[in-house]
Amino acid sequence: MSAQCPECEGTIALAADILDGEIVPCPDCGAELEVVSLNPVVLELAPEVEEDWGE
Amino acid sequence: MNDHQALQLIEAMVATPSVSGDEAALAQLLVEQMHHAGFDAHVDVVGNAVGMLGDAAETVVLLGHMDTVPGQIPVVMRDGELWGRGSVDAKGSLATFIAAAARAHVEQRLAYRVIVVGCVEEEIASSKGAHFVAQTMAAPTWCIVGEPSGADRLTLGYKGNLRAQIRIEQDAAHSAHASQTAAEHGCELWQSIAQHANEFNQGRERAFDQLLPSLVRIESGGDGLCDWCELLVNARLPLDLDPAAYTALLQQLLPNYAHLNISGATPAYSSERTSSIARRFGRVFRANGQQPRYVQKTGTADMNVVGPAWGCPVVAYGPGDAALDHTPHERLPLAEYLQAINVLTAVLSNE
Repeated sequence: MSAQCPECEGTIALAADILDGEIVPCPDCGAELEVVSLNPVVLELAPEVEEDWGE
Repeated sequence: MNDHQALQLIEAMVATPSVSGDEAALAQLLVEQMHHAGFDAHVDVVGNAVGMLGDAAETVVLLGHMDTVPGQIPVVMRDGELWGRGSVDAKGSLATFIAAAARAHVEQRLAYRVIVVGCVEEEIASSKGAHFVAQTMAAPTWCIVGEPSGADRLTLGYKGNLRAQIRIEQDAAHSAHASQTAAEHGCELWQSIAQHANEFNQGRERAFDQLLPSLVRIESGGDGLCDWCELLVNARLPLDLDPAAYTALLQQLLPNYAHLNISGATPAYSSERTSSIARRFGRVFRANGQQPRYVQKTGTADMNVVGPAWGCPVVAYGPGDAALDHTPHERLPLAEYLQAINVLTAVLSNE
C-alpha cells in the first residue's frame, strides 16, 4: 500500500495494518503526516505537538 | 499484578518518604515488591532500585525516579485521589511501570526484556541515578521515562537547561562620582542577556523552540576597595542550542572583567512522534478509542540524561497532572493511574 505526501508529492510506502489517525514520516521531505482516511488512504500534515510548561 | 495490588503498591510508595538523598527505604520497598511480582531485583551501588523481568531479545528500560522534593503532604485517599508528596512526581509513573510489566508477564504476553529502574536524585542537579545508569547500562531498544504526561498523552521531549553564575568586580568609587556602580553594570548585563534572547526568538512561536533565560537572583556589595555584583541566570534551551554553544554566546555578551561559572548544563532532547515507541503508544491510544496526543515540555528530566547517552528513542509517560508537581496540592487520580497501567501493559505486550 502506498500514498502520496501532500508536501513533496513523494510516494510513501505504508504498512498493511496502518490505522486511521496514525502518524507516519515522509521518507523524502521528513514531514509528519496523519492518516485521515483509509479507503482510499489520504495523508495530511499532522497537527502541532502540544507544549506544556514544567516537567 | 491486578488493580487491587497496584493500588496497594502506589499507597505504600507514597507513604514511604523519599526526599532526594534519602531514598533507601523506598528502594528497599521496591526491591521487595518487585521480587514478589517475579522480578530479579536489587539496589545498585548508587542506590537505584533495579528490577529485571522477561528474557526476550529486545530490552526496554522503564526509568522512573524514587526521590521527591521536600514538603510533607498527609497521605490520604479522598474522592478517588491519592494525596501525598511524590504521588504525581513521580511515584505514580514508577508504580505504573512495575505494575504494567508484572501484569504483561503474568498474562504471558510480555514482548520485551524489561528493566525497571527507580533512580535516586532526579530532583536535584546531580541526577546521580540516571547518570550512573546511562554510563553503565547498554542502550536498550527504547526507553520510557517516568514523568506525569497524563494517561492519555505521551511526552516526546524536554528543553535543556543551563545555570550560570556571573560575577562582576570593579574598584570601589564614591557614589557621588559619575561612574556606573557594579549593581548598575549587573542590571545592564541582564538586560543584554534578555535582549539577546528576544532577538534569538524572533520567528520562534513555540516555547519549546525558544531560548528562555530568567534572572533567578542578583546581589551586590563591596568591602570598601572592591564593589561586586553577582547574577544567577537560569536558561531553558531549545534543541538547536546546546549548553556549550550558549555558554560561548554568554561569554561574548560579558565584559572582559566579568567572571562566568557554569553550575549546571543539560542539553534539550526530543524523540520524534514517528519513532517506534511513539507509534506503539499511538496504536494503543487509538485501540482504546483515544486520539493520540503528544507534548513537549519546558522543564528538564532524566530523559535529557539517558536520551543523548543511549541514542535510542526515549519518551516519557505516566499518570497525573504535572501542574501539581512540587505543590502542596499534589494528588493522583487513581482511575487515571489504573488506566495508565492498562495502556502501558498493552505497549509492552505482543501485538
